[in-house]
Amino acid sequence: MLTKTLTVALVGNPNAGKSTLFNALSGLRQRVGNYPGVTVEMKKGQFTTGGVAVDLIDLPGTYSLAARSPDEMVAVDLLLGRRPEEPRPDVVLSIVDATNLDRHLYLTSQLLDLGEPVVVAVNMIDAAEAQGIKIDCTALSAKLGVAVVPIQANKGIGIDTLTRALLDAAEAAKSPVGPTFPEAFEKEAVALQAELGGEVPGFLTRRLLLDVGGYVEQWLVERHGHGLKQKITEGRQRLTEAGCSVPGVEARARFAWVRAAVAAAVTRPSDRPVTFTDKLDRVLTHRVWGTLIFLAVMFLMFQSIFLWAKPLMDGIDGVREAAAKGIESNMDSGPLRSLIVDGVVKGVGSVLIFLPQIMILFGFIAFLEDCGYMARAAFLMDRLMSRCGLSGKSFIPLLSSVACAVPGIMATRVIENRRDRLATIVVAPLMSCSARLPVYVLLIGAFIKEGYSTWVPGLVLFALYMIGFVVAPIVALLLKRTLLRGATPVFVMELPSYRRPKIRAVLRRMFDAGWAFTLRAGTIIFAAMILVWALLYFPHVDPNGNSYPARIEEAEKAAKDSEDKLKELKAKQDATDEEKAELEKLEEAAGEADRLNGQWKRASILGRAGLYMEPVFRPLGWDWKIGMAALASFPAREVIVGTLGLIYDIGDVDSGAIGDDEADDEAKEKAAGLAKAVKDDWAKDPIRGKYGVAVAMSVMVFFALCCQCASTLAVIRRETRSWAWPAFTFVYMTALAYAGAFLTFQVGSLIIDAVR
Amino acid sequence: MLMPLDMLRAGEVAEVEEVSGQAAWIGRLAELGIRQGCRVRVVQAGSPCLLDVDGCKLCLRGGECSQILVRPVG
Repeated sequence: MLTKTLTVALVGNPNAGKSTLFNALSGLRQRVGNYPGVTVEMKKGQFTTGGVAVDLIDLPGTYSLAARSPDEMVAVDLLLGRRPEEPRPDVVLSIVDATNLDRHLYLTSQLLDLGEPVVVAVNMIDAAEAQGIKIDCTALSAKLGVAVVPIQANKGIGIDTLTRALLDAAEAAKSPVGPTFPEAFEKEAVALQAELGGEVPGFLTRRLLLDVGGYVEQWLVERHGHGLKQKITEGRQRLTEAGCSVPGVEARARFAWVRAAVAAAVTRPSDRPVTFTDKLDRVLTHRVWGTLIFLAVMFLMFQSIFLWAKPLMDGIDGVREAAAKGIESNMDSGPLRSLIVDGVVKGVGSVLIFLPQIMILFGFIAFLEDCGYMARAAFLMDRLMSRCGLSGKSFIPLLSSVACAVPGIMATRVIENRRDRLATIVVAPLMSCSARLPVYVLLIGAFIKEGYSTWVPGLVLFALYMIGFVVAPIVALLLKRTLLRGATPVFVMELPSYRRPKIRAVLRRMFDAGWAFTLRAGTIIFAAMILVWALLYFPHVDPNGNSYPARIEEAEKAAKDSEDKLKELKAKQDATDEEKAELEKLEEAAGEADRLNGQWKRASILGRAGLYMEPVFRPLGWDWKIGMAALASFPAREVIVGTLGLIYDIGDVDSGAIGDDEADDEAKEKAAGLAKAVKDDWAKDPIRGKYGVAVAMSVMVFFALCCQCASTLAVIRRETRSWAWPAFTFVYMTALAYAGAFLTFQVGSLIIDAVR
Repeated sequence: MLMPLDMLRAGEVAEVEEVSGQAAWIGRLAELGIRQGCRVRVVQAGSPCLLDVDGCKLCLRGGECSQILVRPVG
């Protein structure tokens, strides 16, 4: 009897039902394993069978073990026991699709070459029967030389037999035998092995010979120098002369072996029946109908994201406000209270507010992927996306970024090609996200409303959204031609059969995405929030040595005490001069707290930086106030509205109240007050007074192009496992934003001059 | 008569005679079932096109299809 823990690796083609089998075997005992230096995540699960504890590793879906990238190499190394994190698997569990045995057994034949015991699970046996395909598993097992178990992973049928087969295979510990290659190939492999020595396993030596330009070749040539490259090329040359050139020799040897096994064990109807999938595809992949349905699905998806997330987001915001108020009333004022309220509670709140959108989007993506529609969507959108050097798979991440770049970037995980994925990640923040909307609405409302036709504000808003849609593909194309250059990835994609999505799997994807975001991105956003808080808080004493927070509190208290009196005086029709003077005084006192707050922010480190950097902002048509607000909004762009409120002495304006008809009156009044205050302030200035529209456009263009979102940068860091990509994104977007704003103001002011 | 795969119209069936191009690409296609001697049916022509290979739907781009030489059947 076995006493130690068994390690089983689960390998299969994409869409073979790998995840379903993984969930059926390991239930809820799962965790995600990360591997340094690569972007792949592998799930690990545990279960006990026949008194033996089994560790199950779910490898990413693949069509073959011919590794083309470090990511794909992780799976191969893991199977060979060459990763320090995991022991060598005792058994390799190969899952294949019963309706598509020929194709899936190709990978199985490669797994047999690893030298570990293999068990084959033939999944979706019911679907095969429905198509009239009969599989004789005993005959297949005899042909393959390993155990073959028919299963239905989605219904849990055959799982017990499968676990027993796994135990038996581990106990027997018999190395299976794969397809035979031509003699000439074996000879070359032996010669190459002698060259490399015992350090490289035989399996990798054969891959080195077979995979032209593959990862094994890159890796070993780097280590052993060009002499090895020479030897491989000579070896391949000899193979071509002997009539078994690579890579054709592998396909021929393996498929001949697969065909022999399938011929002995599978009977198929001569005519393949037209399946449900075929019928559905006639509509869903149709150039016109399919595209229309796709657009409808996308519209529904974004409507739901906005509609369903709104109440949840409001709820989170409410809790945040309540927590801030609760702490404020129970703590003495001082840096600690300010840190907890403004830094911690508001910082965490501004992170958690994204959660509903992320989870709903991921619910949709998981659902669409699970039922097989996602591949159809990528197919339909490929023609459009190939124009900017990307593939159809980049479409949904980019479209999601219109709601918010954070879930959009997380959604790029569906893109297997590394370069495509990086290009998509880097341009996703250019798409105009929902956080930019308050800025647009505020400035359009203030400058491009009165004196213009009613359709002009809408057109400007549309143009601002178009900036992202136009610039993102251009940047993607430039990146693919420069930094991310490489052989154009061949775009071959399988369109899997439609199947009913599993609700549990969809829910799990939603919660995984939410958790990953909260945990990892949250910490960085949180740190950034605290930093900006500190830059706006310190120094917190005025030139006379009095503390600003204390003075504001006093002013607030005074305003509150005289509130009733103020109302009374306001309501009075026939006020005496004395009373009028008092009313003025009281009104002034009511605004005192906001004024003090503005004064404090101006004197803060960030405020001083804004003043200091004014020459930098001047070519954009900005004064130090706009510059400082832009600086303060680098961690999160919606902050600009609140910061402008502070700077223009209106008080803290809620960015949510802008353009929201349901906001309460006070919030709306403040938002409207801010638009007016900005306008009045600019009117006093010679430059902004004359070129107000050009300045407003320059600010909006800057916001459209700039990466003012710590969450986005944190997620890029998380998804690329490198600081280089978020740094690059930040630098190129800031440069682009500056250039864009510069051009907008300069051209805009020229036009204004010409018109006058 | 040999012709590139992208010359086929929707509904036509052909046998693959030769796949040319980079070795990695040939290997990748072979893994997916497109190799010498196999049968493909064009479900939807154009770029990207939709092929039926052994009851499995694959999507390929036009430029890549032109690297696959086929012999029409029937």
